[in-house]
Amino acid sequence: MITYAHFPVLAVMGLFFGAFLVEIFGSRSKAVRNFIAIVTAAGAFGLIAALIKPVMLDGEVISYWMGNWEPVSGYAIGIGYEIDQLGLFFALLIVTTFLLSGFYSLRYMERDHHLGHYYTLYLMLSGSVLGLSLTGDVFNMFIMIEIMTFAAVALTAFRNESRGALEAAFKYLVVGSIGSSFTLAGIALLYAQCHTLNMAQLASILAAGLTPTTLFAFALMFTGLAVKSYIVPFHAPAADAYTTAPTSISMVFSGMVNKAGVYGMIRLVYVIFRAIDLPAMQMLLACFGTVTMFVGVTMALAQHDFKRLLAFHSISQIGYVITSAALGTGLGLTGALFHAMNHTLFKGLLFLCAGAVLYAAGTTDLDRLGGLSKRMPKTTVCFLIGAFSISGLPPFNGFVSKWIVYQSIYAKAVETHNFAYAFITIVAVIVSVMTLASFIKVTQAVFFGQLPASCAQVREVPLSMRIPMWIMSVLCVLTGVFYDFVNEHLLHPAVKAAFNATGYIDAMMGEGYAAAAGVANVEVAPVEFSYWNPILWLVLFVVMLVAVFFVILTGRNTRGRVLEETGAPADGKYATYFSGEKSMPSHVGGSDLFWGFKHDWKSYFTVMQGAHSGVVNDYALWAVFGGAVVMLFMFTFLR
Amino acid sequence: MIYTNYIASVLLIVLGLYTILYKKHIIKIVLGMGIVDYGINLLIVSIGFNDGGTAPIFTMSELISGAYFVDPVPQALTLTSIVIGACVDAMALSLVIKLYKQYKTTNADEIRRLRG
Repeated sequence: MITYAHFPVLAVMGLFFGAFLVEIFGSRSKAVRNFIAIVTAAGAFGLIAALIKPVMLDGEVISYWMGNWEPVSGYAIGIGYEIDQLGLFFALLIVTTFLLSGFYSLRYMERDHHLGHYYTLYLMLSGSVLGLSLTGDVFNMFIMIEIMTFAAVALTAFRNESRGALEAAFKYLVVGSIGSSFTLAGIALLYAQCHTLNMAQLASILAAGLTPTTLFAFALMFTGLAVKSYIVPFHAPAADAYTTAPTSISMVFSGMVNKAGVYGMIRLVYVIFRAIDLPAMQMLLACFGTVTMFVGVTMALAQHDFKRLLAFHSISQIGYVITSAALGTGLGLTGALFHAMNHTLFKGLLFLCAGAVLYAAGTTDLDRLGGLSKRMPKTTVCFLIGAFSISGLPPFNGFVSKWIVYQSIYAKAVETHNFAYAFITIVAVIVSVMTLASFIKVTQAVFFGQLPASCAQVREVPLSMRIPMWIMSVLCVLTGVFYDFVNEHLLHPAVKAAFNATGYIDAMMGEGYAAAAGVANVEVAPVEFSYWNPILWLVLFVVMLVAVFFVILTGRNTRGRVLEETGAPADGKYATYFSGEKSMPSHVGGSDLFWGFKHDWKSYFTVMQGAHSGVVNDYALWAVFGGAVVMLFMFTFLR
Repeated sequence: MIYTNYIASVLLIVLGLYTILYKKHIIKIVLGMGIVDYGINLLIVSIGFNDGGTAPIFTMSELISGAYFVDPVPQALTLTSIVIGACVDAMALSLVIKLYKQYKTTNADEIRRLRG
């Protein structure tokens, strides 16, 4: 037995064991509690990072049977863990997120009480999401989803005296339990048909074709995982939870909890059911993704709270990931995984900055903040890096991944002659523009503009909170500049693994099992950055910037003269008044920078804000409605 | 026959979803979540049932190739699912108590400070 095969299980169990230890020993001493939490999180990080060499670089797939219950005569009995490149890719995102979040919460959470419970829940959340990404058993996946939901709900309600925390937790629990119930019902129906719970064996059995029962199971599981990845009809409680949870946990939600849902959907559609080749399936996912990115970004434009705005952007960015993964091409999945990774980095960074603002100024209300760049210059720099990344400005990472996403959707439109994909490309670009607009608003409202008197005493946050922010910022720039390296060593193996169901099945069930079941491989060509090389576009961007400056410079001499010719006086001292008083300049609030746009789209915003009514029955209705749409669609088009 | 089990489980799931969607009292919503869980538990345990099968408890010497017994895996799944369902209910009810203390109401229409 090779030793590193035990690492994934040790990482997951270590986190759960750490949760127990914190609960037993951590309630009295702060030092013991912090030590246990950080050591277990760092230990899990080390164990997962040690797998990069054998799995990512050497291309090995690790299979691990709990208690050594190996398959008997082709039937998987025991619970198996299977770590292929796709799972490890998401596991790496997860361990990075929770390690940085844990380090950040040491200082960020110090003013709260009962921190022993906080770290217990934090370690349980980390362990469950990590387990979800590494497991090879659908029922184990369900257990991990449930633990994840519990821990996430409890952490959302952790600051239960603050505004709305309890109701956000309750709504999250109700909608989340609908999703879990759907997943469990789907798993039960799958077991009824296939008599196994192992993902690899399920994949080989389902390759023979879908019966109505397995199709129904697929629809149920798809809905359940869609609830966990917060795509649009299921997103409303997530926005509340992101807003009211402690910010270190909001970062964990956006960095790994919704990534777990995305991972589950990719695993389900690409490997277990292998339905991604069907055009109807691609269309369903692409529609969900497009609606998600559009609704997310427009709702973000209407927000007045820093964290709630980031929450809607988080939902919007997941739309990009889903749309790109929907295409079923190597390029599309590369874009999806790259954007998922970048979203973890830049959205985590932005949430950390929001947390820093909350820590220093005591509020995240955009109307009560302003001018913080003078008080918190280092946080401002980090925030700008994150904002540039999410808006897709070169040379930051968001540009590269969004560029691949546009390319892949457009290539799909050319390939299939389907007008819908061309339309989706346009929507994706427009959403990106709106993201930029929204971040101009936030930057203006929080970091620039006038410093209100209530923020005059604000000081920069302590160093131990800035270190995770700097690490995230550096990663944002590095993955944007060395995208080729990232693609070669992380993305391409993961993409290959997603299409390579044969390798996944054979590693678990024994050599030749997949071939006997009639599962074929899909070859994926490595992505070449030749003609969509982002550096070329960076050069074009610079050239255009120079051209704009040139135009401004040539226009400078005439600018003043035009004013004089029209006779507009420089100051109002000698102006003529007919009646009334001199008009006062009215101050447009920081959060209303795009009031004109909002005014033009008033009917849309009225409908959407009415739909986010805050009533838990409505949100549950949305979730059930989304599930019904998925089922109807699948039974109409996938049979 | 076993079909009655399937019909009953679907009825329970639909009833639970109806309760979640249409009842405004938040304790009733929690009860609805519980009913959905019970429906799914009934579904799982029915899947493992074999008519006329014995309990799946054997020693190695008793286990012969023609043994006919009910599938033990769904029973294990049901037990796990019941435990999880109990935890969901406990957690939801504790949230309900806290909500009642803070909002002085159990009506879902009045618990909507976060919206828009």
